[in-house]
Amino acid sequence: MAKRQIKASSLMQVLLRSNTRLLLSGVIAFQISGMLLLAMKTSPPDWQALLFAAAMPCASAGIVRLFSALWKVDRALLILMLFLCSVSLVTLEDIARSAVTPWQQATHMLGGFLAMALGILTVRKLRRYEKWFLPLSAAAVAGVALPLVFGQWHYGAKNWIHLFGGVSVQPAEFGKCALILLLACGLANRPRMRQCVVPLAVAAALCGLLLAERDLGALLLYFLVTCAAYFAATGNLPVTLMGLGAGVAGGVLAVRMFPYVQKRIEVWQNPWSDPLDKGWQIIQALIAIGSGGLFGMGLGLGYPRNIPLYNSDFIFAAICEEFGLVFAVGLILIYVIIILRGISVAMNARTSFHMLIAVGVVVLIGVQAFIIIGGNVKMIPLTGVTLPFVSTGGSSIISMMGAFGMLLGVSSVNAYDEAEDLKRLEWREANA
Amino acid sequence: MRRIRGAIRAISVLLLAAFAGLILYVGYSVYTSSSRWLTSGYNARLTHAKRTVRMGNITDRNGLLLATTDQDGMRMYSADPALRRAVSQTVGDTMSMSGTGVETFHAQTLLGISGSLIDRTWQYLTGKEYTGEDIRLTIDAELTSYISGLFPEGKNGAVAVINYQTGEILSMVSKPDYDPQALVNRREGADENGSGYLNRCLQGQYAPGSVFKVITLAAALENLPNVQNEHFYCEAEQAFGDGTVSCYGHTKHGKLSLLQAFSESCNVSFAEIACALGSDLLAKTAEDAGFNDNFRFQDLILYESSMEKGDLPLYDLAWTGVGQGTTLVTPLHMAMIAGAVGAGGIMREPKLILQVTGEGGIPRIRTGGGIYRRAFSDSTARTLSDYMRYAVERGTGTKARISGYTVCGKTGSAEISNDKSVSTNAWFVGFVEDERHPYAIAAVVEQGGTGGSVAAPLAAKALKMAIERNG
Repeated sequence: MAKRQIKASSLMQVLLRSNTRLLLSGVIAFQISGMLLLAMKTSPPDWQALLFAAAMPCASAGIVRLFSALWKVDRALLILMLFLCSVSLVTLEDIARSAVTPWQQATHMLGGFLAMALGILTVRKLRRYEKWFLPLSAAAVAGVALPLVFGQWHYGAKNWIHLFGGVSVQPAEFGKCALILLLACGLANRPRMRQCVVPLAVAAALCGLLLAERDLGALLLYFLVTCAAYFAATGNLPVTLMGLGAGVAGGVLAVRMFPYVQKRIEVWQNPWSDPLDKGWQIIQALIAIGSGGLFGMGLGLGYPRNIPLYNSDFIFAAICEEFGLVFAVGLILIYVIIILRGISVAMNARTSFHMLIAVGVVVLIGVQAFIIIGGNVKMIPLTGVTLPFVSTGGSSIISMMGAFGMLLGVSSVNAYDEAEDLKRLEWREANA
Repeated sequence: MRRIRGAIRAISVLLLAAFAGLILYVGYSVYTSSSRWLTSGYNARLTHAKRTVRMGNITDRNGLLLATTDQDGMRMYSADPALRRAVSQTVGDTMSMSGTGVETFHAQTLLGISGSLIDRTWQYLTGKEYTGEDIRLTIDAELTSYISGLFPEGKNGAVAVINYQTGEILSMVSKPDYDPQALVNRREGADENGSGYLNRCLQGQYAPGSVFKVITLAAALENLPNVQNEHFYCEAEQAFGDGTVSCYGHTKHGKLSLLQAFSESCNVSFAEIACALGSDLLAKTAEDAGFNDNFRFQDLILYESSMEKGDLPLYDLAWTGVGQGTTLVTPLHMAMIAGAVGAGGIMREPKLILQVTGEGGIPRIRTGGGIYRRAFSDSTARTLSDYMRYAVERGTGTKARISGYTVCGKTGSAEISNDKSVSTNAWFVGFVEDERHPYAIAAVVEQGGTGGSVAAPLAAKALKMAIERNG
C-alpha cells in the first residue's frame, strides 16, 4: 500500500511538471504553425517568417530552461507571457505593413528578456529596501519629467523623448516599474498613516507630471496601481475609497476642462454620429471585430489594416478579425490566468515588500489589458495604452517585461523560501 | 500579513469581475451588433469581398428567385419589373442605396463572410470559386407585387403584412419604389421619385393619428377599472389646458360609450381618457408595446417608435392620447402592435429570413427570434380585439371587412400640418381573427385622406389576397 502511495504522488509530480511542458509545447506549436502558415502565403516562402518559425521555439525553450534553472521562476507564468509575445509576433508578421515591424518587435523582446532578468535580480537582491525609496522616487520623478523639458507633442500628448540616433523612448513606461518598486519600498511593513504620506505624495507628483504631459492612459494606470498598492499595504478601505473618489472627481473635472477628453467620451457614446472623423477609429475597430466572426478571417485573409493604429492601440481588434472571437476571448482568459497565477504568487510571498511588488505588477498588467481591450470593443472610452506584451512599442514591451520580471522574481524568492522550508523540515525529521 | 492577503483577495476579485464583465460584453456586443457594424457604409471589406465572392441568391418564401448572380458575376434581380420594384427596398441593391435591404444588412451572409469554417476550408481545398450563402425570405413576392399594384396611384406610403403567430413578414410595400436592376447597370434615374430607397415600413416615422388610440385604450383598460361603463360627451371640441382638442371634421359625437368612442374614433373622449391616465401610465403602456425601444432585431433594422415621456402639459397630453402629439411610429411596428392584440398580447420578433443555406445545401440553424415581448395582458388583448372588431363591423373601419372572415382594426387620419390645407395621412391597422390565417397589417397612405375611405379598403384587399394565397 505504502509503495503505491509513493507511486501516486510521484505520478502527480510528473503530471505537474509535464503540465508546464505541455503548455510550452502548445505555445511552440502555435509559433511554428502560425509562422509557417504566414511563410507559405507567398512564393517563394517568406524567409523572415521561416526564420521566426525556427527561432521562436528555440528562444522560448531556451528562456524557460535558463530562467527556471537560474532562479526557479514560475514556469507557467513565464510560458503564458511567452504565448502573448508569440501572438504579438505572429499577428505583426501577418498584418504589419512593413516587415521591419515584427523584426523590431522581436529585438525589443530580446531587450525585454534582459529587463526581465534585471527585474528578477532586483527583487532577489534587494534587501534593505527602505533605503531605496528615496533614490527610486527621485529617479522616477526626474525620468517622468524629462519629456516635459525635452519632449515634443505627439498625438496630443508630450510623453516621448527623442534620443540621439533616432531612438525615442517613453519614460512613463519605465516609470511604471519604478512606481511599483517605490510603492513597495515605501509602503512595506504595515506603515502608519504618517509614513504613507511620502510615497503617496511621490505617486501624486508622478500623476501630476503625467497630467501635464496629457498622457491620460498612463495617468490612469499610475493612479489605479497606487490605489491598489495602498489598499493592499494598509487594508484601509475608507481612505482608499476616498482616494478613488478623488480620482473620479478629478476625472469629472478633466472632462469639464479638457475638450479633448470630452470628445473621447462623446465618441465612445455614439461613434456613429461622426463616422468619418472622430468615430472613424472605433467604428473601423468594431467592423473588424464583427468581420472576424467566431473563428476569424484566417491569417492573412482579413483586412485589419483598415483599422487605424492596427498594430498598437487597436491590435486586439486586428486579432479579433484574423483569429476570431473564440481566440480573442481565449486571449483575454490568458490575461485572467496570468492574474490568478500572479495573485497566488503574491499570496505565497513571505514579506509584505514582495507581496506588494507582485500585487503591483498584477494590477498593472490586468488594468492595462482591461483598459485597452475595453476601449477596443467600445465598453469604455478609448484610452491609448498598449496591450501588454502584444502591442508594438519598444518602451512598452521592455518595461512591461521588466515589471513581469519583478513578478517572476517574487515567485523565485518564494521557490527558494519553500525549498528552505523543506530542508528545515527534513533536518527536523532527521533529528527528531 | 493576513490583512495584506485579505486586501489582495479583494483586489483580485475586483480584477476578475472586471474581466468577466469584459468577456460578457465582447460576446454580447458581437452577438447583437456585429451585423450592424459590418453593414455600415464605412466597411471597406464588403466592397472588396463583392469583387472576389459570388454572392448568394435571395428567394421569396415560395422559392421565387428575387436576386442572383449570373455567370459574369453580375447581380440579377427578378425579370418582372413590377415585382422587383415591389420588393426593391426589402431585397436591397448592389449599391447599398437601400441600407436596410437584405443585400446590405445580410451582406455578410450572402458573401459568406460569416459562413461556416467547414465550407470555407472545403472551398479553399478544392479551389472552387468562393460562393456566399443563399437566403430564403419570409416575403411572399407575388402578394407584395399585388399590394404594390393596389396602392393609390402617385401616393407615397407603406403597407406591412405579418403573420402574428410566427412573426414572419409576408410583405413590405414602400412607395415610391425603385429599380435595383437599373442600379446594377448604372443607368440614370433608378430612383426617379427621390425617396425610393427608403423602406417606409422600417424607416418611415409617421404621426400615428387615431391608430394610436389602441394604445390609449389599452392603457385605460389596464389602469382605469370602471372605464368600460363610463360615458363621454362630445361637443366636437373641448378645452384641455391652454388649447382645445377637436374631432376629425368637427363631428359632434354627442353621448358615447367607450366602445362607441373607439369605433367612431372620437378625439375628445380619448383626450379625456389620456388626461385621466396621466402621461406616466400612458407612456408605460406604450413602452410595454415597444415604444422608445431601440429595436435590435436579428433579421432587420427597424427604426424606433418614439413617444415623449415625463410630465407633459395637459394640452400636449390630450393630443398625445389621440395620437397627434410628438409621437412617431414605424408602420411595421404598428403591424406588430395589431398582431400582438390578435395573439393575446404576445408580440413576436419580426422575422424576415426563413432559411439560410450554405454551400452544401444544408440549411443553417438560426438562433434567436421568437417572442419579443408581452405587449398587453391576455384580458386586455381580448377586450381590445372586441373593440377593434366592432370598429370594423360598425365603426369607421367598415370598408376593411372581408366576407367570410373577421377583421379587427382601427382607422386613423393623421393630421400632418396645423392648417387643413394638407390632406391627412390615411392609416389602417388591424388583423384577421383566424387560427389558420393569422395576418396583421398596417397601411399608411401619405396625404391619402381618411383612413376609413382609403387605407381600410386597401388593407381589406391585401389581407384577402394573403388569405387566398395561403389557402
